[in-house]
Amino acid sequence: MRIFLMQRWSAVALLVFLTLHMVVVHYPPGHIDVDRVLERLDDPLWKAIDIAFLVAVLTHALTGAYMVITDVQRFSVYKRALAWAGAVAGVLLFVYGTRTILTF
Amino acid sequence: MATNGSVPTVTIRIQRFNPDADKKPYLQAFQVKAPPGKTILDALHEIKEEQDGSLTFRRSCRHAICGSCAMNVNGRHMLVCDAPLREHVDRHGVLTLRPLAYLPIIKDLVVDRTSFWEQYQRVKPWLIPPENIPEKEFRMSAEEVAALRDAEHCIMCGACYSSCQVIALTKQYIGPHALLKAFLRVLDPRDSAPAERLADLDRGDGVYRCHTIFNCIDACPKGLNPTEAIETLRKLVIKRGAFEAARAERQRRLDQPIEVVGEAPALSGGE
Amino acid sequence: MYRSTGFIAFVLRRLTGVALVIYLLLHMWVIGGINSGAETFNDRMEFLGKPFFRLLEIGLLAAVVYHGVDGIRLLIGHYFQVTEYRRGLFYAVIVVSGILVIAGGVPILLFALEG
Repeated sequence: MRIFLMQRWSAVALLVFLTLHMVVVHYPPGHIDVDRVLERLDDPLWKAIDIAFLVAVLTHALTGAYMVITDVQRFSVYKRALAWAGAVAGVLLFVYGTRTILTF
Repeated sequence: MATNGSVPTVTIRIQRFNPDADKKPYLQAFQVKAPPGKTILDALHEIKEEQDGSLTFRRSCRHAICGSCAMNVNGRHMLVCDAPLREHVDRHGVLTLRPLAYLPIIKDLVVDRTSFWEQYQRVKPWLIPPENIPEKEFRMSAEEVAALRDAEHCIMCGACYSSCQVIALTKQYIGPHALLKAFLRVLDPRDSAPAERLADLDRGDGVYRCHTIFNCIDACPKGLNPTEAIETLRKLVIKRGAFEAARAERQRRLDQPIEVVGEAPALSGGE
Repeated sequence: MYRSTGFIAFVLRRLTGVALVIYLLLHMWVIGGINSGAETFNDRMEFLGKPFFRLLEIGLLAAVVYHGVDGIRLLIGHYFQVTEYRRGLFYAVIVVSGILVIAGGVPILLFALEG
């Protein structure tokens, strides 16, 4: 249940965050202006939003990958190991991503 | 369709497999007459009696109620006793019959349904009655009956189970048939253990393994809706405590006339 | 396999989902270049600035948009009783994502062709 709810709530969060991300970062389409990104991320609120976005996207990606793998009967015997591996990967990626956001 | 007089002849391609002789299944074509009113099952009987006695398939009642003869006709699951032959041949006059998908084939059109029944047992498909069984009869309101969405019409034919893409991937998933039965028992006002049932479904291989593909609805020969049942169960699983409390309250009035019972409890969500 | 619109939606959802997980890792790696200094960041960005990757971005957009719109369809299915309209909803997802991808993809294409 936890996995399913994590995935559903992160999905709803992503609908909001990703729309925002596309509009703010990628609109109008074309060259991504680094200065614009730097300027935006000067604001701590944007940093917080991006970190929340990172949490949502990692949750969604890792629970999704976990679902895809454990759907296959052959792999489902490893589901405990997979869940732990996913949790560790999530923490590592969160640390890496947060560092990136804070550096900007 | 080749026409011979007024009765056309059609080709039925049947997937054959004899585990003692064949390495893998193959299609074999048979020609049969297709007068109006003849079902696919009639054609199978005719082939077995007149053309090839080794053809193996399951059937029993011939009235679409025993659930034995569910098969795959041109890619769709249906009860062949209920399916007119002429309606299901394609424009080349050909009809292809295969056994139910994703299950081990025993012989020809007969599949091994062991996992189907094992999963069915998991949901305790029987009614768990309350302690105060009324002397005369259980009373249910029209709303309560409507909330079951005809789930009691299920004939356990296996069409939904064998069309489910998740079942194709893993037999550990409980399956749409068992979840529909669980839905029927959980929503039944006579059942006294809905929270326990819902707790059993609250797991990765229970209600959450369904990926809302809707194949079970497409496949069901009785027009039932396992997907909607699973969505309802998903909501109830979360608030099963409140749901059980409402059920206990409801069961104190099980033997009273419906008029006195008044408004039915909100079955879609509990309190 | 039992063919239906639901089956197609499921396969597309899974394929785009897996593709997006792979993209996410790549995306984080590229932007994470900033951790090793602006030079690494610029190198990695320049590498992805090639027209080939620009064109791949249309595929990325399509995957994101389809996956997202399909997710909205699933949410609708969870909160409302709409199984009766399952085919129509699937086609609606295809049409809506198609429009969004064209709206977003044409500018990307023009930009890629400009160089």
